[in-house]
Amino acid sequence: MKFLTKKRPAAGPLEFATTMDGATTRGGADAGSVEAGAALEARQLNIFYGDFCAVHDLSIAFERRKVTALIGPSGCGKSTALRAFNRMNELIRGVRTEGEVLFHGVNTYDPAVDPVQVRRWIGMVFQKPNPFSKSIYENIAWGARINGYSGDFDELVESSLKQVALWDEVKDKLKDSAYALSGGQQQRLCIARAVALKPEILLMDEPTSALDPLSTAKIEALLDELKKRYTIIIVTHNMQQAGRVSDRTAFMLLGDLVEYADTKELFLNPRDERTENYISGRFG
Amino acid sequence: MITRIQFNEELTRLHHDILSMGTRVENDILKALDALRSGDIDLAKEVKASDQLVNALQLKIEDQVAVLIATQQPVARDLRELVTMLKFTDQLERIGDYAVHLAKAAKRQAEAPYPRSLERLAVMARTGSAMLHDAIAAFLSRDEALARVTATRDDEIDANHKAFIKELLDYLREYPDQAVQATKLIATSGYLERLGDHVTNLCECVVYMVSGAHAELND
Repeated sequence: MKFLTKKRPAAGPLEFATTMDGATTRGGADAGSVEAGAALEARQLNIFYGDFCAVHDLSIAFERRKVTALIGPSGCGKSTALRAFNRMNELIRGVRTEGEVLFHGVNTYDPAVDPVQVRRWIGMVFQKPNPFSKSIYENIAWGARINGYSGDFDELVESSLKQVALWDEVKDKLKDSAYALSGGQQQRLCIARAVALKPEILLMDEPTSALDPLSTAKIEALLDELKKRYTIIIVTHNMQQAGRVSDRTAFMLLGDLVEYADTKELFLNPRDERTENYISGRFG
Repeated sequence: MITRIQFNEELTRLHHDILSMGTRVENDILKALDALRSGDIDLAKEVKASDQLVNALQLKIEDQVAVLIATQQPVARDLRELVTMLKFTDQLERIGDYAVHLAKAAKRQAEAPYPRSLERLAVMARTGSAMLHDAIAAFLSRDEALARVTATRDDEIDANHKAFIKELLDYLREYPDQAVQATKLIATSGYLERLGDHVTNLCECVVYMVSGAHAELND
């Protein structure tokens, strides 16, 4: 099984997808049935917690190098859907997933696909900063090391921290514990840890909900920079944040995708009354 | 459950203020028209004084809208409604200025009457105030269809403006020494023609508020 090997294929992402029977699938954004330009596509995704269907028949394509916000009230299934995009739900007991998540034309739920490798290409940043109980340096280097990185670790640490605009703040205390950093810095460190693995997609589950406004503003500014390199899917409860940082917004309600549109369009003139009611705060 | 009670209350308050501003402008047009017909200079003065209140109302509404945008972060229909309020009241303020121009014409008419019919001006003013009435109703009831129908009436004002200009030019040819009076009336007619255009803009604001689409009504 060669799918999602640790080393990025020399000829680019089109080359690395191999189906179960060994035939090479020419994946990539415009290949096969994947929507042109899409970095990731879910098809008829149904996710169950036991008998309860938390996400119902979700079909959605995420544009490459754009920020897409998933919004909706608590319990609408947005975080569950987000976790499905890199198979994180499998770490939760009793979760069952049906349907497909296509990455470079390959269904990441194919039994032959290694979920650990999926998560290496599709990284996740969580609501609360969760740095390892290690030094700032090791928070970056450790993940890369166990993922087989064999390059210059100093360079990797520096470039990753620079990508999240944290380098200048920590370059003189790289050996200090990550816990010594502020909440906002810790979250940027977690993003740096994710980008150190050179993923294609970053999933973010309410990455600023535990942060103060200044730290939030820094993360939001960072998203604008990061989307030049990565496709970002962010779950947020903060409508203004969705409006500020995302190019596209998907509104979910009771497990259904209600509306998916350009953010400007969705926030100025939503097509669905339920979207209108939610974003304008008129939902009970 | 309906939430955002405070926001809705603020919107209702703004609606009252816009209704109050619009009604005042509508009355000022009719009052100026009365002054023109009756030669009652005091009425004309009242229009000018009323315009100060119109201007003050516009600023008050503008401030209230700014506070709501800053504190409530409205989106979608709420945001379009607040943006529309800013544009709507800006147009209303201009329309109020045209009522003042008509009142000034009334004062001049009282001092040196135009010997021929001013019925065309009267029709323009009446049509304009009726359109204004409907545009405000369309705004308050979010009635796009009413806004679109109302805008079509601008043609009546334009036709009367054109006909009145022709009458004035004929008059001017006969009485070249009355050039000052004739040109002032041409200007007044022009103001009323512009008044119709501004009411049309109000109707376009309503279409935007309701549908989110920018419409060119009665091009």
